[in-house]
Amino acid sequence: CGSDFLDQKPQGKLIDEQLNNTKAVEWLLTGAYGLMNGNRDGTWGNYAAAPSQWLFGDVAGGDAHKGSEAGDQATMFEIEQHTSIPVNEHLSVMWNNYYEGINRCNTTLRLLKVVQETGEETFTDERATEIEAEARMLRGHYYFFLWRVFKNIPYVDETVSTAEAAQTPNNVDVLPFIEADFRFAADQLTNTPPMGDEGRVDGIAAKAYLGKLYLYQQKYAEALDLFKAVIADRPDLETLPFLDNFNVNTENGPEDIFSAQHAINPDGGGDNANVGDMLSGLYGSAPANCCGFFNPSFDLVNAFRVTAEGLPMLDGAFRNDPYLSDFGLTGDAQENYQVDQSLAVDPRLDYTVGRRGVPYHDWGIMPGNDWLRDPAFHGPFVAHKRMIDEADFAGNTQSGGVNYVTALNVSIIRLADVYLMAAECAAETGDLPYAMNMVNAVRKRADNLPRKKIDGNDAAAYSVQPYPASAFGSKDNALKAIRFERRLELALEGHRFFDLVRWGIAKEELESYSAFEGSIINVYGGLSFSEKNSVFPIPQDQIDRSGGNLQQNPGY
Amino acid sequence: FLSVTGTITDGNGAPLVGASVMEKGTSNGVVADFDGNYAIEVSGPDAVLVVSYVGFKTVEVPVDGREVINVTLQEDLAQLEEVVVVGYGTQRKKDLTGAVAVVDVNELKQQPAASPVEGLQGKATGVQIINNGAPGATPQIRIRGFSTINNNDPLYIIDGMPYEGKLSWLSSNDIESMQVLKDASAASIYGARANNGVVIVTTRKGVKGKPRITFDTYYGTQVPNRGRFPDFLNPQQYGEYVYRQYINAGGEPGPGNPGTTGTNYGSDPTRPTLPEYLLAGTKTGHDITAADADPSNYRYVMDPEQYYTIVKANQAGTNWFEEITRSAPIRNHQLSILGGGENATYAFSASAFKQDGTFHHTGFERYTVRSNSQFTFLDDRLTIGENMQYSATKGVGFGVNENRSGDYQAEDSPIGWAYRIQTIVPVYDINGNFAGTKGDKMGNADNPLAVLYRAKDNVSKSNQFFGSTYADLELLEGLNFRTTFGIRYESFNGRTIGYPNPERSEGSYTNNTLEEYQGYNREWTWSNTATYKTTFNDIHNLTVLAGTEAVEYNFRQLIGNGNDFFISGDLDYYYLGTAANTSANSVGAKSALFSVFGRVDYSFDDRYLFSATVRRDGSSNFGPDNRYGTFPAASLAWRLSNEKFMEPVSWLDDLKFRAGYGVTGNQRIPTFQYLRQYASRINQSFYPIGGGNDLVSGLWTSNYDNQDVKWEELKSINLGLDFTLFDNRIDGSIEWFDRRTDGVLYPVPQPAAAVGTGDSPFVNTGKIKNAGVEVGVNYHFNPYAGEGDFRFDVGAFFSKYNNDVIELAPTVTEQPYLTLRGVTTSVLKAGAPFGAFYGYQVDGIFQSKEDISNTPSYENARVGGFKFADINGDGAIDGDDRTVIGNPHPDFIYSLSLNAEYKRFDISMFFNGSQGNDIFQLTRQYTDLFAFPGAVSTRTLNAWSPENPNSTIPSAYADAPTFERQSSSYYVQDGSFFRMKNLQIGYTVPVEKVFQGHVSKLRVYASATNLFTITDYTGMDPEVSQYSSTFSAPGVDMGVYPVPRQYLLGFSVTF
Repeated sequence: CGSDFLDQKPQGKLIDEQLNNTKAVEWLLTGAYGLMNGNRDGTWGNYAAAPSQWLFGDVAGGDAHKGSEAGDQATMFEIEQHTSIPVNEHLSVMWNNYYEGINRCNTTLRLLKVVQETGEETFTDERATEIEAEARMLRGHYYFFLWRVFKNIPYVDETVSTAEAAQTPNNVDVLPFIEADFRFAADQLTNTPPMGDEGRVDGIAAKAYLGKLYLYQQKYAEALDLFKAVIADRPDLETLPFLDNFNVNTENGPEDIFSAQHAINPDGGGDNANVGDMLSGLYGSAPANCCGFFNPSFDLVNAFRVTAEGLPMLDGAFRNDPYLSDFGLTGDAQENYQVDQSLAVDPRLDYTVGRRGVPYHDWGIMPGNDWLRDPAFHGPFVAHKRMIDEADFAGNTQSGGVNYVTALNVSIIRLADVYLMAAECAAETGDLPYAMNMVNAVRKRADNLPRKKIDGNDAAAYSVQPYPASAFGSKDNALKAIRFERRLELALEGHRFFDLVRWGIAKEELESYSAFEGSIINVYGGLSFSEKNSVFPIPQDQIDRSGGNLQQNPGY
Repeated sequence: FLSVTGTITDGNGAPLVGASVMEKGTSNGVVADFDGNYAIEVSGPDAVLVVSYVGFKTVEVPVDGREVINVTLQEDLAQLEEVVVVGYGTQRKKDLTGAVAVVDVNELKQQPAASPVEGLQGKATGVQIINNGAPGATPQIRIRGFSTINNNDPLYIIDGMPYEGKLSWLSSNDIESMQVLKDASAASIYGARANNGVVIVTTRKGVKGKPRITFDTYYGTQVPNRGRFPDFLNPQQYGEYVYRQYINAGGEPGPGNPGTTGTNYGSDPTRPTLPEYLLAGTKTGHDITAADADPSNYRYVMDPEQYYTIVKANQAGTNWFEEITRSAPIRNHQLSILGGGENATYAFSASAFKQDGTFHHTGFERYTVRSNSQFTFLDDRLTIGENMQYSATKGVGFGVNENRSGDYQAEDSPIGWAYRIQTIVPVYDINGNFAGTKGDKMGNADNPLAVLYRAKDNVSKSNQFFGSTYADLELLEGLNFRTTFGIRYESFNGRTIGYPNPERSEGSYTNNTLEEYQGYNREWTWSNTATYKTTFNDIHNLTVLAGTEAVEYNFRQLIGNGNDFFISGDLDYYYLGTAANTSANSVGAKSALFSVFGRVDYSFDDRYLFSATVRRDGSSNFGPDNRYGTFPAASLAWRLSNEKFMEPVSWLDDLKFRAGYGVTGNQRIPTFQYLRQYASRINQSFYPIGGGNDLVSGLWTSNYDNQDVKWEELKSINLGLDFTLFDNRIDGSIEWFDRRTDGVLYPVPQPAAAVGTGDSPFVNTGKIKNAGVEVGVNYHFNPYAGEGDFRFDVGAFFSKYNNDVIELAPTVTEQPYLTLRGVTTSVLKAGAPFGAFYGYQVDGIFQSKEDISNTPSYENARVGGFKFADINGDGAIDGDDRTVIGNPHPDFIYSLSLNAEYKRFDISMFFNGSQGNDIFQLTRQYTDLFAFPGAVSTRTLNAWSPENPNSTIPSAYADAPTFERQSSSYYVQDGSFFRMKNLQIGYTVPVEKVFQGHVSKLRVYASATNLFTITDYTGMDPEVSQYSSTFSAPGVDMGVYPVPRQYLLGFSVTF
């Protein structure tokens, strides 16, 4: 036997010496994008890491219930009730998948440097800069999502070795690093996607995200400049259909700023699709039936009710005499329930929520309990924005009956969000007229929505009107309107809880929400929110693995 | 020429039919007839006769001109003169200096089982066998404790060929001898692969004489031990339990409301009323009207909008374990032919074994053909031979793959579902299709019988050739060269079929999938040895051996998946090309090992024995800096009984002290841990970067590296004492050992900030110590034939080891591991036994609100829930309060065997037990702690309540905090047991009278296994095999495949 007898090579894997080239950098960069859908592979289990952030953003924010039966994914209920303990597996899923994304960005950046310095062939300076900007933008995104949920997280960049990374404590503020990454991307990327690939990040996405980061830091003026640049780059929001954001045939349109791209594998597999939202597949006899999670709350649904002027009930009056659909009815009353078509609501309601008696996508009239898993527990409503039309199932859903895993992209930032963030910055910095224009642009666009019909008549007394100038007479009033508009326009898109925390009103809002929701379904009452609940506990297994370098968040 | 005649008899005077009589140095030989008479023509008066018979000592008788020579053969007691196979050679058993357990192969065969490993249970001290009842399963074998957190399976040497894996392809009847090398001084000749001990198996070889044909057969039935099935609440009790959950949790609305207890139990808030129907279309429970339940509505179509099933409530309660189990047959037939002449011997055998599983629709089949032959040339100086086996095995049904343990015990296995499905669910709906959890508040279990049924066409097949050829040349007097080339080539294939399961709450209507795979394992081993044996001055015996060995391993597998077929489940139609969507994948592995080794054995005057070995291994598993490892060992023995001063002690036949020290290694980890590896996989690293549905290739870091990874090294000391007393009436041995594994390899999970979701590399994590004693004693009444009609043997074995993780490497902290549904059961922690159970210590039940506020507690603690001990005393219960709550290692294991013969009757009994081991009964998270709305244990009838304040079982409580389900001492149970493993009664038919000599031996027997088990453990079987064979979390019971009782009848006939 020669000495090379023992020199074997890994099978079906690559090693460092095969990667010192530009192709490897590009492929690693694509791999770094690959975590945008919140999963590495597999479909089940990645719920908490969904780019939609439905669990932390909407369920924890009082806009939706986790759904299904009480005992199913009971640890999600703890997230909803803000009673999570550090071994909650959804926390680990979030943490692991987003650090996977970060590692992929770091590997790309590390190899980019090696190739540019030692490779036989190298990138042009332009492409090298572009790659660096793309990777840093993605890294910033992954860190931002982690920071919102956990706040105290270890920061690791491409200069840190694996051994050092394992020992990195979580005692530094990561926002300056995220800011530096977004700033680099905003400065270096043009306003069109690199290589002409729609799925890549561009300068507009970077500017919007940097602005959002500033907003979270209350740096309103800096943020507003960036939002204005983004708005200037795009057509007038009023010309853009609201529904294009939730349709596989029109995604990546002009309203899209930054989104997770989803696709069905050529073999019909769903690993690259929207797996994080799969549990919200409906139940029972629905055309896409799964698990019956993610049910909009009574509070959210009633928030869509409008005054005679077509304006939201900013004073909370929507909680008076709430609309409950067929909830609580029994026997014949249940059986013969007819939806009240005189209910005055914002037309966005029926494109955000499915409710009994109203057409749902092209699936037919939503029949109520036949599509619900345990309505007595989770209420009578289903979510709308993550399901697609039955006509689009072919080619856009996972094969083998798993048609609730779809190729529908999920927006991280869309133009209406930028309008409303700009409005908030303007209000905070005293430009109330600009703020009102932004909000009203969103509302006018909402009025363009086609009305849902029952036998030719509107399914509700739809109405959405722009605010009169008087409504924006003071900063406080303006902020109230802006914040309410964010809730309506971006409902069930994963913003709510993070907005409440950012505004410093999570405790009062969630506790009053709980009192209201609990008056209808007992289990949602009694929510108690304290300072520590602004973030979630650090996963216990990560603390166990860190050798004492990771510290639990205060209060857990 | 000279004619010689005579009779060959045993010590009782019974004729030895078929005894061989040969003229020495020629091929001239005859066989005794059925009266033991023989007649042979020999070359002259100086000829020498060689008389032999299996089981008796061969004798040489000089003719000395006699014409009538009667020979009485002495039974070979097979104890001291026995020659045993050790590494790359043989030794007299009495000359062994290391710890070697020689297994009584006859006892091994008494226990019918797919794998010969099962029969090892209790047959050798220091060998722990943990069985499971899955058909074809190879039980878990541990030699002297757990030396590593990795795969603890021993290395098998089968006719000189190393083999790592499961042994269910080998028939017990083909085994001639089996030795277990327990300590390093015996095993380190196998160096890098010997840490977990070495089991040497030698298959049956031919013997000189006319062909001897033996046919063995048995048929039996396996009966599930129904008495040990878990006891669940019946539907009425379950309804009451659910009511209590809401009563105890307080709040409005209480029970009887659809929001709380659902539609199944009616609207009376004081007592549940069972429904007639569970489901009719989309209606549930008491909401179902007679019109809804009209059978004419029934439509079993795979379309959610059309599907309409009607399910009656099983008010009496379904016993799911009863439904999924059955009595199942087991049978084995084996034909073997042994024979040979002066220059050639041969052994041929063929066998067919079939074992149906005691769970429906599972089974295992095996067919083997074996040929061993040996030829001698050049006046016996050149020997050429072969040992070959072809075996075909087939596993049928859910999770039955003899190469992989664990599939049948996961939480989504039929056993797991049987713990998780409510008893009110019937097996079938009104039209005989499966019923399930679709309904109101029925949880999400799959129908366990449906899961088994739908897996009935799943098969995994293996066709394996395992064999070697060898040539041995005596170059000079005492100097032999031997070369052996062996190959294992296993070609395997299988298929898994997926079906819709619309009756399940989270079921599918359109799932139609086919997975098809095939692949091979190929491993060749080429070893070359030179052995020099000499004796000088009559008292110095010296053997020197030197050798080399090369091993190369290659595995490759092709896997195809298809889904969406025109018709569902039609095996004649199911080909990948007929699927609407297909995908293909292939995987592989390669590794190589090259070794040089040597051994010196020296004995002086049969009193002082010395042996030393050294092996240097090179492995492709390690990086250039750590590629080679050297593993030395030495041992010596002093035969006290041969000293002059011991001569007066006449009752002492043999007494020998042994001492040994040696180093072995372990390299059984996934390959290339020293290299960082990158993968490109559509599911893991692709992205539709263009914005459409086209996926673009990407890369990710799939495996992180540890460039310093090196051999696991085990240093072991062994002291032993072997004795034979009172004219072979008592024999036994006592061993003491101390084994320390240094640099235990474990893929220490790294923080995600370091490795994301990539694989953490194996790291040399620390030291594990196993120290213990083993005692084996046998008593033989009437050890020699002819002393009486009644003989019996009693053997008792006792083994004990203490396991401790002595220290962890500086880079490694305490490692909790094995997490299932948020419960992390086990820990690697310095100072604790390896795999110790880890969690909160239950300190009682919270009695009142005041009790909660006066005691350290946790989020949402409630009256009637667990009170946990505040281990660190900081006034709160959190992760820092987890502690060691149990030890999966037994204090000791023991066994007792009794064999007796009276005239033609024989009886054997075998008992074994384990004392002091804990079991983590993880299934309690379903049955006691309501992790799902599934079946609930009758233990909860005694749950805590203000009226029952001393109970340690938490009260029913709606949405109890998940903290209560965390790993705690509530799960930990004493797993001690004592089991009557085997009883066999045989009768040897007086064939000479019955068959007029056409038959030389006929024995019929009946046997029963697992007749009774004494244990306090509440799970189905106290023998709990670990979840995964490559990942040791011993003693965690997630729902084992319990060992059934077996009753069988068999016979063995020799012509």
